[in-house]
Amino acid sequence: MTGVWALLGAVAVVAVIAVVLRARDGRVREAKARAVSLPAPVRDLLDPDAAVTLVQLSTTLCANCRQARAVLEGLAGRVEGLRHVELDVTDLPEVAADLGVLRAPTTLALTPSGAELLRVGGVPKPDALVAALRPHLPGPIG
Amino acid sequence: MPLDATATKDAPVDPRGPRFSAWITTAILAVVLLTGSWRLLAAQTVLFGMCAFISLKLNPWGHVYRFAVQPRIKPTTEREEAAPLRFAQGVGFVFALTGTIGYATGLTALGVVATSAALVAALLNAAVGLCLGCEMFLLLRRYAPALARPQ
Repeated sequence: MTGVWALLGAVAVVAVIAVVLRARDGRVREAKARAVSLPAPVRDLLDPDAAVTLVQLSTTLCANCRQARAVLEGLAGRVEGLRHVELDVTDLPEVAADLGVLRAPTTLALTPSGAELLRVGGVPKPDALVAALRPHLPGPIG
Repeated sequence: MPLDATATKDAPVDPRGPRFSAWITTAILAVVLLTGSWRLLAAQTVLFGMCAFISLKLNPWGHVYRFAVQPRIKPTTEREEAAPLRFAQGVGFVFALTGTIGYATGLTALGVVATSAALVAALLNAAVGLCLGCEMFLLLRRYAPALARPQ
């Protein structure tokens, strides 16, 4: 009998996780307030000539990083002032910890000075991302 | 990288294969919960272990998928890296092993909890396409560095 309840419980847990994930995945979220300054490996990736640099944090064990990369590379190719770089944090857990990042892929939108504009967990939704970044970008979508 | 650095590297796979396998794994784990059979769970543990530490090619459900399912559905160019899949099998191995020990030694509560956890991960993979262990690798790395040490 315990087994039946455990089975029902497990299915319920999966349903809750699935619903929460649907709601959160790929959504643009507000930037996190950071106590420490931007970690050096991330700072080194910033492009002073781009209005916004999208820093995608990946790991070698990440299942969706490939998909996120395709979306963001496509965006960076057609939106002026937008750049995409990827950082493998598999061996840099302290960087992920300093940024408050718990899952991969997570994408941070940063200004040339290193200020965080927003972040996206999971595979970003391109239209919503560009709309949220619009005030920080120079020209119209090319 | 797989858990075992000496293991061969698998080529990227059709992502629907692992989803198919995950449904079968879910069914096996459900039967374990309903019957409390440690032998069945031990068999699943061996399967997890072979996929995680040796090669994904040893997964029998992968062969069933290739011969019985793949020819009947539309081909896809989409490919998924093998490393996250093997890592996930390793996570499943840890839970299934814990569960087997629980059931076999009479610690039924331990068996039920560990098997339920493995079932949650397998069903998430099958139904939602989410690899919990892969997404949470950074979290594991922070709180259980020994478990998530990359090789």
